[in-house]
Amino acid sequence: MTDLPQDSGAQLHERLEAGAEQRSERREFFRTALGAGAIAAVGAAAVTLGSRAMADSTSDTNLLNVLLNFEYLEAQFYAFAVTGAGLPSAQLTPGSASTTTVGAVTGGKQVSFTDPLVAKYAREIANEKAAQVAFLRTTLGTAVVAQPAIDLGSTATSAFSLAMRAANIVASGVAFDPFASDENFLLSAFFLEDVVVTAYKAAAQLISTPAYRDAGAGLLAAHAHHAALIRTVLYTKGATTATLRTQADAISSVRDSLDGTTKDDVGISPAVIANSQLAALNGLTASNIVPAGTDGIAYGRLVANVLNIFYLNSLAVTKGGFYPNGLNATVVTSAAN
Amino acid sequence: MNDSDILVPAPDAKERRRAGRRHFLRSASVATLAFGGSALLSACGGSGTSTPSATDSSTPTPSPSSTDTLNDQDSFNFLLNLAYLQAQFYTVAVTGAGLPTALIAKGDGNQTVQGAVTGGRQVTFTDPLVAQYAREIAADKVAHVAFLRSALGAATVAQPAINIDGSASGAFSALAQAATVVAAGAAFDPYASDENFLLAAFMLEDVVVTAYTGRQSTIATTLLIDAAAGIHATTSYHAGLIRTVLYAKGSVSTPSLLTNAGLISNARDAFDGSTDLDQGIVGDSVTSNISPLDSNGLALARTAGQVLNVLYLNKNAVVGGGFFPGGVNGNIKTSAAN
Repeated sequence: MTDLPQDSGAQLHERLEAGAEQRSERREFFRTALGAGAIAAVGAAAVTLGSRAMADSTSDTNLLNVLLNFEYLEAQFYAFAVTGAGLPSAQLTPGSASTTTVGAVTGGKQVSFTDPLVAKYAREIANEKAAQVAFLRTTLGTAVVAQPAIDLGSTATSAFSLAMRAANIVASGVAFDPFASDENFLLSAFFLEDVVVTAYKAAAQLISTPAYRDAGAGLLAAHAHHAALIRTVLYTKGATTATLRTQADAISSVRDSLDGTTKDDVGISPAVIANSQLAALNGLTASNIVPAGTDGIAYGRLVANVLNIFYLNSLAVTKGGFYPNGLNATVVTSAAN
Repeated sequence: MNDSDILVPAPDAKERRRAGRRHFLRSASVATLAFGGSALLSACGGSGTSTPSATDSSTPTPSPSSTDTLNDQDSFNFLLNLAYLQAQFYTVAVTGAGLPTALIAKGDGNQTVQGAVTGGRQVTFTDPLVAQYAREIAADKVAHVAFLRSALGAATVAQPAINIDGSASGAFSALAQAATVVAAGAAFDPYASDENFLLAAFMLEDVVVTAYTGRQSTIATTLLIDAAAGIHATTSYHAGLIRTVLYAKGSVSTPSLLTNAGLISNARDAFDGSTDLDQGIVGDSVTSNISPLDSNGLALARTAGQVLNVLYLNKNAVVGGGFFPGGVNGNIKTSAAN
């Protein structure tokens, strides 16, 4: 809890108080549901559900700071790809009530885009991610955490290389340079985007303060647009460059295997529709732009599962992968899978 | 957490709604399916449809208050109307047929009247990729209708009358005319070409995204917040997909797609008041604008009333028109006065 503001002003205090009350109500809800579920002798799901909520006792502030750590990663990736430089240093510093320190970005360079449309997409996303970092920093005020150390390197031991090697996109010991080509850039963006969408999706029910809930909803939708853009471009280019689809599929599989056995990821290759309640759709071949189950509900991941992916580790660890020194947050440990 | 309201006699006018609410509480547990379980289905059994066990008479109620639950019910029914519209549009475009009766009827505890769908036909897609996108989205929208209906249970509103007609008097044409994409009195047929289909999908997608963005923080029940967030994300992926395809085709081969998307955005924005709640797909000379965001990078949001302004094609406070000739079904049905 070292990042909690010591004296953050009456307004934030009020928000936190209100948040604490609502969280108590939610715990009460889960306890009730749990008890009744046990009576009904259908315990497993309710236990899982309850533990999800109760295990995540972070305040809104802590949760937003975690999400900001993810935003730093994405914003730096796009900023370097588009401009060759990272975010301004003023956008990386801790708030006066935070004891965190600024970590460095390793690697990162400008992409020489071949397809002018990909360049335009990258610039749009870069601008928007930078705005989101600024927004979250302003919202968090004195409690804002500094940027943690981030690995955007292009060496054989860099995070992207390790991720792409796990997906068999490069051979063991071979470097993957995320900034070397349009395709590498898109695959790297793909690796990050869907994960952050799932983080915001799962965060929706954990945020208490109404204003933060509005912000969370706006950020969820924004990230889903970005993710859809990247997936659509890969899918489209994949119609002629088949490896883009199979490589995206492989990346999805890596993400899905890092974060445990729950199915919460899907590649982009076409799939035959099955089990639709509209029979006429079944058997048709469809794209796979939306990572969702057959219920049409986009996947979500708790922070610990997101960290499995970004730490590139299926076990309970506190750092690694894209965050060599871990997050600047109160929740830093990945899930034990 | 005692919901004492459930135990006291209520005025007749509220009786039915309360009954519907109990069913809703039972079926709200459908949201737990997202987590792979059905414990709450048993836990919150409906008052008239299951045999309570000796030990659950304490009436477990998965909601902070009954008012919140009624509000959630209204919100989900409102969102279900939007899902009906989108699902019918995509399924008819893809298959030539609409939703089966089982997916448009009212719930047992609801008194809304089922409406018919006017217009719509199968699109002969030229670009196989567009066909694949349309199928994927159609399947998701059907799933959304099914999911929302399951969550609402007996309180489910019937499908209202829907106009997805491609003739000159249809709702799509009316919006296209307002946008000057076609001349006054001329038809805009969403089913005539890939391009028209994409523009018609664009007309609806962004509006529904703003509806979810604006509605999310009003939902009180935790499980429903999670479910709504999932549909919200999925719909945002759909909107991002449609905007990306329009931008790519508009940039490479059909510039009119860029300008027409901008005109449609302006028309939508003109219906919902003076606040800028809509954006086209073109950025500046070096950027796209796939994501319609504010200066903070947050997706734009509309109130329910503003959403209905756009879908009723009317800037005033009315209870029907445009894509919903008889209005949407449920307690949220009036557009905002602008």
